[in-house]
Amino acid sequence: MKRVLAFFGAPTVLLARTARATAREGLSWRESVVQLHELGGRSVWLVMSGMAFFGAVLVTIANSQARRFVGNVAVLGPAYFELLIRELGPVVSAVLTASRAGAGHAAELSTMGVNEQIEALEMSAGDPLADLVAPRVVAGLLGVPLLCVLGTVAATLSASAVAGLVFGVDGRAFMDPRYVDGWDLLAAALKAVACGLYIPLAAAVAGLRARGGAEAVGEATTDGVVAASLGCLLIDFAVSLGFQVLRL
Amino acid sequence: MDSRSVSVVVETPARGLGALVLALARELGAIALVAARTVLGLPRLERRELARALVQFGYDSVPLAMATAALAGVIVVLQSGLYIQRFGARAFLGWAAGYGVLWEFGPLLLGLIMSARIGARNAAELATLQVGGQMEGLRGIGLDPFAILVAPRVVAMELSMLTLSTFTFLVAILFEAVAALLTLGLPLRVFFGTFAQMLGALDLVGGVVKVGAFGLAISLVSTAVGLSARGGARAVGQAAASAVVRGCAAIFVLDFLLTLALAGWMS
Repeated sequence: MKRVLAFFGAPTVLLARTARATAREGLSWRESVVQLHELGGRSVWLVMSGMAFFGAVLVTIANSQARRFVGNVAVLGPAYFELLIRELGPVVSAVLTASRAGAGHAAELSTMGVNEQIEALEMSAGDPLADLVAPRVVAGLLGVPLLCVLGTVAATLSASAVAGLVFGVDGRAFMDPRYVDGWDLLAAALKAVACGLYIPLAAAVAGLRARGGAEAVGEATTDGVVAASLGCLLIDFAVSLGFQVLRL
Repeated sequence: MDSRSVSVVVETPARGLGALVLALARELGAIALVAARTVLGLPRLERRELARALVQFGYDSVPLAMATAALAGVIVVLQSGLYIQRFGARAFLGWAAGYGVLWEFGPLLLGLIMSARIGARNAAELATLQVGGQMEGLRGIGLDPFAILVAPRVVAMELSMLTLSTFTFLVAILFEAVAALLTLGLPLRVFFGTFAQMLGALDLVGGVVKVGAFGLAISLVSTAVGLSARGGARAVGQAAASAVVRGCAAIFVLDFLLTLALAGWMS
């Protein structure tokens, strides 16, 4: 129970403290842009290539399911496309980003903590929360939704290509937005933004807690990645359940 | 444009491509070397280290794997529910949800989460030893670091993943059945009826084969990354981060290849 509370509570407390510190100290936009490049520019290849493979897998499954039922992937295509837009696109992209950015953030912050650079920053009248955590949170809020869009596009394109080249189905049958409505897009956007907020916070909680030597850096990195990935899955589940309960 | 600037324009993409190919060859070579040395080290495998790794990788990952499984199951049902109701094929939910978890979401999510948890820790531990010069120390007193450090990790990871996969699938399917009952009002009997009718033992084998392949990929990639770390404390953090990234990339590529191979082989 204590662990569950800490899992949700620590990032929330950190967010509140970061917001207060940022209101007091101001936010460095330059640093935020640097962090956005770190998070987005460096993850974009991983997310897009991973999602391209994922789209190919999705259409392979749709094809084998459709062959048992109706004989043509064109029937299941639109449903799978909705599934991709609403569910798998944002979540798998966010988990991939979490593994890359979460590990990077946690490793950086814990290395700084272990080498006493954070104390040095405090001594020179800096604020670790406003100077280190806030730019990463801003980068996550902006970067993760963008990465989710790119990942979903990559998955869709590769799914259409595989459908056309391998299964001989018209690739456009998969990209049929017949079932996609505004609510799907809203669910996807909510998930992307919430994951973008959660990933840097979870990584920062793990990274700032690290004390000790090189061992502690590895430990903090692991904790940050696990917390960020699991958090993305939980956010996805919560949003889906909310929409299901409200019958949207 | 004079001839020199043209040659630069032509050269840069070619150079980038060459660097990419070289980097890829180096990665694959490192993994192949680790795999070969691990197989050679198997007879002299350190048993105590194996036991410790089994507890760390298998037993300690159980809560995380179960949480992932439960979430995956509920998410699959919530989503399939949307279009199952649309097609009016409610009875098929058991089959569709079971198929999704066994073949795709179960193995993939388990692989990604385990890559984050175990891959990062493996790489960080080995990189710490490598950076601290303890690897050379082992070699200096005539011990094979692969037999003592790497082989136990690879074997333990493989055993843990295979064991965890079965549990994960069970938990995921149970949660699916309950979620279907609560959200769609689908009786458990109907859910398990289509599940048992339309899924064979082969479907289960497919999922287990995938998880086994992912486990091998995670352990080999993370140990290769950890052993090739050079530098100081920074290199340890970098090794941990890059092990996770490469593990995830390897899992996606393997997932696609195995889906194609198994789907082709089964139909």
